[in-house]
Amino acid sequence: MTQALQGKNPSFVLRAAGELTYEDRPVPDQPGAYDVLVKPRWTGICGSDVHYWVHGRIGHFIVEAPMVLGHESSGIVAAVGDKVTSVKVGDEVAMEPGVPCRRCVRCKEGKYNLCADMAFAATPPYDGTLARFYTLPEDYCYKLPEGMSLEEGALIEPTAVAVHITRQAAVKPGDSVVVFGAGPVGLLCCAVAKAYGAKKIVTVDINEERVKFALQYAATDSFISARVSAEENGKNLIEQAGLGMGADVIIDATGAEPCIQTAIHALRMGGTYVQGGMGKPDITFPIMAMCTKEINMKGSFRYGPGDYQTAVDLVATKRISVKELVTGKVKFEEAEQAFAEVKAGKGIKLLIEGPAE
Amino acid sequence: MTSPTSQMTNPSAVLYAAGDLRFEDRPAPSLQDPYDVLVKINFVGVCGSDVHFWTHGHINNKRPPPTGLIMGHEASGTILATGSCVTRVAPGDAVAIEPGVPCRRCKSCKDGVYNLCPKMRFCASPPDAHGALTGVYVTAEDFVYKMPEAVGLQEAVLVEPLSVGVHAVRLAGVGPGECVVVMGCGTIGLMCAAVARRFGAGRVVLVDVVEGKLGFARGWIECETFRPEAGRGPEENAERLLEQLGIEGPLGLVGVDTVIEASGAASSIQTAINVLRPGGKYVQTGLGKDKIEFPIVTMSEKELLMRGCFRYSSGDYELAVSFIAKRLIDVKALITSVSPFEETAKAWDLTKNGQGIKNLIRVARLDTRSVL
Repeated sequence: MTQALQGKNPSFVLRAAGELTYEDRPVPDQPGAYDVLVKPRWTGICGSDVHYWVHGRIGHFIVEAPMVLGHESSGIVAAVGDKVTSVKVGDEVAMEPGVPCRRCVRCKEGKYNLCADMAFAATPPYDGTLARFYTLPEDYCYKLPEGMSLEEGALIEPTAVAVHITRQAAVKPGDSVVVFGAGPVGLLCCAVAKAYGAKKIVTVDINEERVKFALQYAATDSFISARVSAEENGKNLIEQAGLGMGADVIIDATGAEPCIQTAIHALRMGGTYVQGGMGKPDITFPIMAMCTKEINMKGSFRYGPGDYQTAVDLVATKRISVKELVTGKVKFEEAEQAFAEVKAGKGIKLLIEGPAE
Repeated sequence: MTSPTSQMTNPSAVLYAAGDLRFEDRPAPSLQDPYDVLVKINFVGVCGSDVHFWTHGHINNKRPPPTGLIMGHEASGTILATGSCVTRVAPGDAVAIEPGVPCRRCKSCKDGVYNLCPKMRFCASPPDAHGALTGVYVTAEDFVYKMPEAVGLQEAVLVEPLSVGVHAVRLAGVGPGECVVVMGCGTIGLMCAAVARRFGAGRVVLVDVVEGKLGFARGWIECETFRPEAGRGPEENAERLLEQLGIEGPLGLVGVDTVIEASGAASSIQTAINVLRPGGKYVQTGLGKDKIEFPIVTMSEKELLMRGCFRYSSGDYELAVSFIAKRLIDVKALITSVSPFEETAKAWDLTKNGQGIKNLIRVARLDTRSVL
């Protein structure tokens, strides 16, 4: 392991389910005309990273060869291609980890997050950002404005997820919004919904500590989910949070079946539901309620045009704050430890530092 | 001294200045990247913008460079060669060509409005985006559209103006049952009207000052027509139009659902604002004077939704091809003449003089695939 760490491009690699290691990967070539070579500085860990580690796959994405992990990163520009104009060597950037094909119908209609040929960092077969070097196109690098730290830059990825979810939900000023799940994405959805003018933001979780944090972070109200029927849970939520006829918008950031069911019952007639969280692929769903309440339901997947920039702008203009979500930082050599902590549900967002120079 | 084009390997129609068109043997382009295709140009159509360049030597003060600019942007062709990553077309395929390739990297491109890309390379745009009046043309795979067997290469030229119509109707949000008025009965007006019909418009009304154009429209698609009278103001013309349509009530409180303005004429724009109902929709696709007198209070009090409309973007070409392939819109009927390549200037003059609807130029001598 130490050999790899002394190498030219030490990289944190998942060889197969359960097997983490360090490899000295080849140093990338000089960046192409429109590309940027970045040295990642801080990388956050997400539930999906842990899932690959434990199961070696997510759906039909299977780890068939050793893969560098990491996709929530910020870094420092090390080299730029000759057509690059928006960043220069030394700039600090947030890195958008998924590059689409730019040629298909989805890409050209403005939904590049739905591109069938998306190359996404640390989704097999593409390597991720937990290495000394990472190459990406200029338009997927976002220069951090003055006063924004690299740690905050690493939070832009989950913030962009929250921005995309909030936009899918079309949260508008005056709305009441319920967010199921007070993990990082749920918390960020509360913060972004607030920035989009929601007047009541209800955080829901089974964990009291998380709910407490959410209340002082961005939520205005809270609810602890109980083990009762979804209909009763929904009714209680409406009553306790003072939601009148029901919430205007509910966002699920858990993927948990009881949450999804409760949500449908907690929405008002004509309300909007957005599925952001990922859990069981198939669940029992209250479709009659969804139908008779004429609920507007949407999925939400990663982030699309404008979301990353909006995330940077929201943090830079202090409409939202992400610093307090960073509950731990470890050195590159301690990456596996960080993964173990996230797996154990500790903290909110743990950041892994890039390899030492 | 000009050599006859039959001696040239890649004869191209190059504009230098107003009235100064020369036929030159330009170097044939080659595949630049694995997603490129090489196309033999078969036919090119004439558009008002070609005539503008030909007559005035510029558009918006953008002139051909001293080395000249190959003209033409409404084109059909046959695939000659494909890059290694091309999967959707093969040599020999007949294609309609979308003449503007955007950068794919900027905000507009990624937002799904690539027609607004600041780095758009559009056929026959100064200084150096050469057009399609040439032997061999190179572009990206996703900007050529394979045409079915039954659709000819001449018809394929009409995909371009039909796409303008598709774009306008989509921006206008025309829905089933609507009453749609199209101002201007040139090629674009006709296309907008035909597409509006296919989008389910309950009534489509074409408006023009030239009776002959309206007569053609009535024979071409199911529509109503109206000819405004010269010397009558926009409110009066609007009132008469609504009267003819049987839409009763005071002007300002009643009107049609949607107007697509395809003439660019100030009087037509003013009439359009008056003929719309409160809450109605307006799309400006016609190009005329840059600054006009505009009834802004009427527009504001009626809370009209107004949108600009520029060329075409994501999905428009596909839909246009589909309309032609499924014989839902008969574009062949608009083809009025086909001139040989050497008579390009004559074709431009036909359009300039208001003769015909769509005048074509035959570029390739034979409609067969040739080996490069």
